[in-house]
Amino acid sequence: MAGFPSFNPADFPGEITLDHVISEAKPNFAPLPPDLRPELVTALAGRGVERLYSHQADAYHAVRQGRHLVVVTPTASGKTLCYNLPVLQRLLEDPRRRALYLYPTKALAQDQLAELSALKHGLPIELRADTYDGDTPPGRRTAIREGGHVVMTNPDMLHAGLLPHHTRWRRLFSSLDFVVIDELHTYRGLFGSQVANVIRRLKRICAFYGSRPTFICASATIANPLVLAKRLLEEENVELVERNGAPRGERRLIFYNPPLVNREMGIRRSSMLEARRIAAPWIRTGSQTIVFCRSRLQVEVMLSYLRQDLAPRLDAHQRVRGYRAGYLPLHRREIEAGLRSGEITGVVSTNALELGIDIGSLQAAVLVGYPGTIASTWQQLGRAGRRSGSVGVFVASSSPLDQFIVRHPEYFLSADPEEGLIDPDNLLLLAGHLQAGLFELPFEDQERLGRADVQELLQVFEEDGSATRSAGRWFWSRQAFPAEEVHLRRILADNVVIIDTSHPRPQVIGEMDQFTAPVLLHEEAVYLHEGAQFHVDRLDWGEKKAYVRPVEVDYYTDALASVTVQVLDTFGGPECDGVSRSHGEIKITSLASMFKKIRFHTHENIGSGPIHLPEQTLHTTGYWVTVDEDLWRTLGRETLEAGLQGMAHALRHVASLRLMCDPRDLGSVAEVRSITTQLPTVTVYEVYPGGVGFSSRMYELHRELLDDSAALVRDCPCLAGCPSCVGPLHLVEGAKEACLRLLSATALPV
Amino acid sequence: MLATSLRDRLTRLGASPTAPRPRPARPLPRGFEEIPTPYGNALLREDVIPLPPLEPHPGNVAYLDTETTGLSGGSGTLVFAAAIARPIECGLRVAQLFLPQPGLEAAFLDVLRQELEASAAIATFNGASFDLPVLRTRWVMARMPGELTEAPHVDLLTLVRALYRHRLESCTLRMVEERVLGYERDDPIPSALVPDAYFSYLHAGSLDFLEAALEHNRLDVISLVHLHSRLLARLRGDEAGMDAADWLALGRHRFRRGARADGWRALRNATSFGQGEASATAGLLISRRLLRRGSVAAADRLLGWLESSAAEDMRVSIARARLLEWRRRDPHQALTIVEDAQRRMPDLAADLEHRRARLRRKVDSDRGRNRNRRGRGRVGQLREVQLEAPIADSPA
Repeated sequence: MAGFPSFNPADFPGEITLDHVISEAKPNFAPLPPDLRPELVTALAGRGVERLYSHQADAYHAVRQGRHLVVVTPTASGKTLCYNLPVLQRLLEDPRRRALYLYPTKALAQDQLAELSALKHGLPIELRADTYDGDTPPGRRTAIREGGHVVMTNPDMLHAGLLPHHTRWRRLFSSLDFVVIDELHTYRGLFGSQVANVIRRLKRICAFYGSRPTFICASATIANPLVLAKRLLEEENVELVERNGAPRGERRLIFYNPPLVNREMGIRRSSMLEARRIAAPWIRTGSQTIVFCRSRLQVEVMLSYLRQDLAPRLDAHQRVRGYRAGYLPLHRREIEAGLRSGEITGVVSTNALELGIDIGSLQAAVLVGYPGTIASTWQQLGRAGRRSGSVGVFVASSSPLDQFIVRHPEYFLSADPEEGLIDPDNLLLLAGHLQAGLFELPFEDQERLGRADVQELLQVFEEDGSATRSAGRWFWSRQAFPAEEVHLRRILADNVVIIDTSHPRPQVIGEMDQFTAPVLLHEEAVYLHEGAQFHVDRLDWGEKKAYVRPVEVDYYTDALASVTVQVLDTFGGPECDGVSRSHGEIKITSLASMFKKIRFHTHENIGSGPIHLPEQTLHTTGYWVTVDEDLWRTLGRETLEAGLQGMAHALRHVASLRLMCDPRDLGSVAEVRSITTQLPTVTVYEVYPGGVGFSSRMYELHRELLDDSAALVRDCPCLAGCPSCVGPLHLVEGAKEACLRLLSATALPV
Repeated sequence: MLATSLRDRLTRLGASPTAPRPRPARPLPRGFEEIPTPYGNALLREDVIPLPPLEPHPGNVAYLDTETTGLSGGSGTLVFAAAIARPIECGLRVAQLFLPQPGLEAAFLDVLRQELEASAAIATFNGASFDLPVLRTRWVMARMPGELTEAPHVDLLTLVRALYRHRLESCTLRMVEERVLGYERDDPIPSALVPDAYFSYLHAGSLDFLEAALEHNRLDVISLVHLHSRLLARLRGDEAGMDAADWLALGRHRFRRGARADGWRALRNATSFGQGEASATAGLLISRRLLRRGSVAAADRLLGWLESSAAEDMRVSIARARLLEWRRRDPHQALTIVEDAQRRMPDLAADLEHRRARLRRKVDSDRGRNRNRRGRGRVGQLREVQLEAPIADSPA
């Protein structure tokens, strides 16, 4: 282990919860396919490729047999060749054919263009590959539409730019042989459900022009890549390639939990400062290190820390560099070159780098906080590790997710507990994309949008005047441009935007759905964002803007909202035995009336104020569990309420882990007596109206969710419940205890 | 377990609620007749209206204007009406096509192609970037074979922009009618409401606005015929009352189109007004072209004449000083020009100061080597004498 950058646990006051060495893996090669065109063989040789990794060969053969494909690959395993090889082969056989590559971000498309260009450079015929997005100069657009063999774009551009104007893209769509979808695992939840509908529309257009493309997807490791791909593509003939043939160096993996500084509140020493202490010596001694932060702001702070630590050196600025989304390609190339030459020894990044951008291989990776999913954690850790003797450290923050992961490394190391879920048939999404699809091409009688039956929706559109029936078909009949009304990545158009006014130029630091905003963003609220406190100076409800500034105060705010959950339709459950689980369609109303300021440590109430905001209603899907009557009688009402609150908090967070979503995509409500069940009830619901499939999965995962929640609360070193386990409401004696009793009692005997 | 309709569920989820409407009966607009095509029936109305003699006459051109369901383009934007005007012996034939419902598009396009086939060329107003691309999209959407038209196309908006922009605040057809054709139209419906007129017909069968939109379409295309004749006259330079700016615009347009002799003539006409900015601009363009072909003396004479006639144009003095300094190698003379200009235009004198100072230095350091410089200057002049002959008739 001499090669590892040194890490001595004794130097650090916190807890090492995992110190694990992942052994090296030998490469598994396969010969170049015998039918590969000689030009391509030469071009590959020019790049030093004389044989393939086994998964690259598997992918090639599957695609050549006309199957759709999903390749599951770790970082830096040569996944781009998995799709570039069959695509280039086809284009060499027939240069009239076309391919469309989809990447989740513009920057990624730019980077992959460079990769493909290097390969096709060695080919004797002129193959045109371009990115096409909002940055493409108008002068080049026509040439790309007419002559681009490979068009690299993002789902948003496909949705609003290409599909509604498909007649201009006739050349592409009528000859489209391949659609490459890289970073498949990012297409989950709301975004994935939207993109699934965009793919439905894409297939309609292809059918109109008589093409039937093969889909090639590449995904990071998740539990259900094949299921996700089949659901996203709505194809059955999909082959999974997951046997990785790329070599991997030996590497050491460390989980570090900073020491508690406030046991009662569960507050730990700053993960930023601990990460700095870990990374700085490595950078100083020349071990190339990357530090991943959770926000742009953190990147800037970490940069200045690390530069200070190198300060006596004159070239501190040169040796430690920031790298985040928004940097120009040229700037990024310069950093990549600096890393290769060894001139740069430290890089501080947001997760821009996570998505497969190649900056070579480093010796150490430090993750400040949990990136949100196991898949992206592995991707970030994978930044260090192609060569042997690298080390990756995850430094946990105080948040519930971080604490769950750091205290349960076995969850992290066990086989893929995370699933990408989508529900393209969410009525609201379907309706939006049906309008966009109707604009693109009239619908035939009985025609479906993908697998969804849309005839009834079309009738509603006709009654609304959006559609007209004529000659046995449905036509779009409004002046509006429907694709413009659907944003693929936003929950709803009327989110509340959070603006930090402390900068000379006010910055948007986040968004919050309209339903939750009154509780967390009312005026005078202390809003927690990325672990920092912000004071809400003004909430402009009409404009949907919250103006905040960073503060450091010794209190938090707690809004009192009367929340009621009304069940509209039950899809599954209940099952008895004293406890029950159900899922279905629900209506939640929430009226925030006042807030309290509560001092840390002492919990004294140091002030309060009214909240004047309208009642919010949300129609969505949810999953709910009820508690046995005998049990709650023994607890007493106050303890029961605190226990239920804790349970709601814990359930929501562990559910977001399994479902690969942001905790903010879910909400939870604890009711001592629900109007539907007449029992103490905890409901976890989806924030997006109508839901995108999380609720039914939570219902299925009931047992695991309760077990994980119990583990989160039980293993938390706090005394009586803290924000890291049962959430901010811990005023009641025995809340933690009550929460645990509820959790163990509600678990169904399996 | 509430049983709810799809509409209710959509509304609950936040989609915009609208009251349901029944499918309407849709009467046909006035005068349209069914024309059979292989794709079903199309609706056409024809009319021949008197046409005053056009001078010049554009010939057998089809004037085309379309009405669409939106301005943003894209494959969901329909062409619901098209008007084609064609001068014939006894007047102007105006044909109008109407799409009574979206599913009958192929028949509409088939008749449109026939109408266009009868002429040797097509003229539109903004057709290059709007009508024709939209029609091409419709052609693809309706799976029509071949092409809608391959006839040559002239976009009158392009010509208006080139020849009249300096006279107009905007180049809308309405503005052009008023200011170029001198006629104010009592428009039955503003352009912006035209798509709604069609939708209110589709959704409610209401004819009032639709008839107005069709009339609007008819008036537009008739205007194009007169506009084209007027533009041809302007292009020939036949119009009375053209001022320096008009000639300048015409000259520039002719050069852009590669018609150098015509461009040359137009710029010369603009210059010969001898006053005003446009005249000076034209003169400067001519002098630049003269210099490019080495006719330094002619350019110098022209600029000298401009300077005396348009004494308040700094650009002319600068061009002249530059010519004298760099082409004639005569800093003395250049300095005189600059100092004169500074005296004439004291407000702008500061702008010339840098140039004046440099010329001053040159003149001072030149004194010692005076003779050599003069010698070279003479060689330069000798070369010019042979080249200036072709433009001896310069306006000066």
